[in-house]
Amino acid sequence: MLKKISVTDAVGKVLSHDITEIRPGEFKGPAFRKGHTVCDQDICHLQKLGKNHLYLIDLEKDEIHENQAAAILAKSLAGPGITWDNDPKEGKICLYAKTDGLLRVDAPALAAFNMVDEVMCASLHSHTLVKKGRQVAATRAIPLVMKRAPVERAAAIAGQNGGILSVHPLEAKKTGIVITGNEVFSGLIKDKFAPILRKKILDLGSAVSGITFAPDDESLIQKAIDTHLSDGCDLILLSGGMSVDPDDVTRKGILKAGVTEMHYGAAALPGAMFMVAYINGTPLIGVPACGLHHRVTVLDLVLPRVLAGEHIGKKELAFLGHGGLCMDCPECVHPHCPFGKGM
Amino acid sequence: MAPFDLLLKKSAAAHGHLCPGQVVGVRMAMLGCRLIRLSHPTRRDQIKKLLVYVEMDRCTADAMAHVTGVKLGRRSLKFMDYGIMAATFVNLETDRAFRIISTEESRDLCDIYAPELEEKSEKQILAYKRMPDSVLFRVQKVQVRVRDVDLPGPTRLKVFCTRCGQVVRDGRQIEKHGQTLCKPCAGNCYFSHTKEVTWPDMNWSPTIKEDLPC
Repeated sequence: MLKKISVTDAVGKVLSHDITEIRPGEFKGPAFRKGHTVCDQDICHLQKLGKNHLYLIDLEKDEIHENQAAAILAKSLAGPGITWDNDPKEGKICLYAKTDGLLRVDAPALAAFNMVDEVMCASLHSHTLVKKGRQVAATRAIPLVMKRAPVERAAAIAGQNGGILSVHPLEAKKTGIVITGNEVFSGLIKDKFAPILRKKILDLGSAVSGITFAPDDESLIQKAIDTHLSDGCDLILLSGGMSVDPDDVTRKGILKAGVTEMHYGAAALPGAMFMVAYINGTPLIGVPACGLHHRVTVLDLVLPRVLAGEHIGKKELAFLGHGGLCMDCPECVHPHCPFGKGM
Repeated sequence: MAPFDLLLKKSAAAHGHLCPGQVVGVRMAMLGCRLIRLSHPTRRDQIKKLLVYVEMDRCTADAMAHVTGVKLGRRSLKFMDYGIMAATFVNLETDRAFRIISTEESRDLCDIYAPELEEKSEKQILAYKRMPDSVLFRVQKVQVRVRDVDLPGPTRLKVFCTRCGQVVRDGRQIEKHGQTLCKPCAGNCYFSHTKEVTWPDMNWSPTIKEDLPC
């Protein structure tokens, strides 16, 4: 229960919540913290903050203070790889990445959580690459005092699969690269794909064990894949031959290598002719030629997810569609743009 | 209790079709029985311990009745015409009672729980299967005062309407201006313009072998 008193009668009273001060462009934060005992000199400061009244709190048995609520919510939202400081500021608790890795957000559960009255959580997009210590979300109860039951229900929703937020370290994979195409294999043109793919792999903490060149011959492409697998590669990237021309036989070579599943086509541009396949659990990624021209393609959306242990299937490639259109900006600012962040 | 998929299949068959309300009803019944600790509500030793108050006459109500085995004629199913997607499960032995409310937000969340489906009904069915109980329902612990005249078992009270002579069972009479009346005579009635009539073949009974004209 909340009791309203005039700020001029507040001397000696204990503040029941943080009081925020905003000085535009200069400061935003608590001017007074919960638990502070109001003294004479505070009165003028409080009035300057627009506070002519204060609340005194007398909690009923079934009620909960915003700070307690935030602590319950943060604990249930946090899954593996998430940490938080159990010291609400202005009723809010921020959640951080405990390690470098890929943030995953259980979007349906987050939506369900936020549909509960009087609680909220806002997060970064799922599949954002984060460094240790980066803030990934914040949560709070909306009112100062609320019933305990909705907080507990929201906590149950948040905890349903071990937490809505999690950060997954990227696995360091041993990667084999296969560059296909007669024009490169025969030396008609110089390959420019391998350095691009190598850099992307290295930037994400994996290693490249070998680069193989193959002509547009499905048996030789199969052989190149087999060689990388025998060499112990647990990720294979293939470029070239992913399109629709008669000479584009890379997919046939991949099929011949004995894939257990193959998904061709992604709802993203650039990168529609992207492919993900698996041979006994080892992912093979087919990168279309757009990877040569664009700094960022569907590969940059999918590769971190593969390295974070996610199985990519038809659904994952289809769900890229909303937000999957690169704006092709003159100066690319990815990942600080909407590309790939729809789902 | 049988697995969800089997309960849903049988419930949909009994109801006539599979629909989102069936999914919600089966799940509501499973949760309700779990909360009042009746693991086999249709089993002989538990069937008389259960009362269910349904607050809507929709597909969900049929599913709940099918899963729990409660029936109007057995007096274990009570219809409370509130128009609310809710039901209360009462264990008569322990007096434990929980009211389960289907959340409105679960309807809004279908798109996000089953984004791969386009058709509305299919989307809702899949989404309601995927949502955890915490998203699909709110639960209230309640007390239900069950009068003797509302319990299953033999008729406990019979009175005559002082106006029309109709027998009124189980305390449903109305006391008005010192008179004991049935609800129609008390004006609390769903029909009007009453006129007693005769009808063709009114002396037919099942023991007569002749077919009735359609």
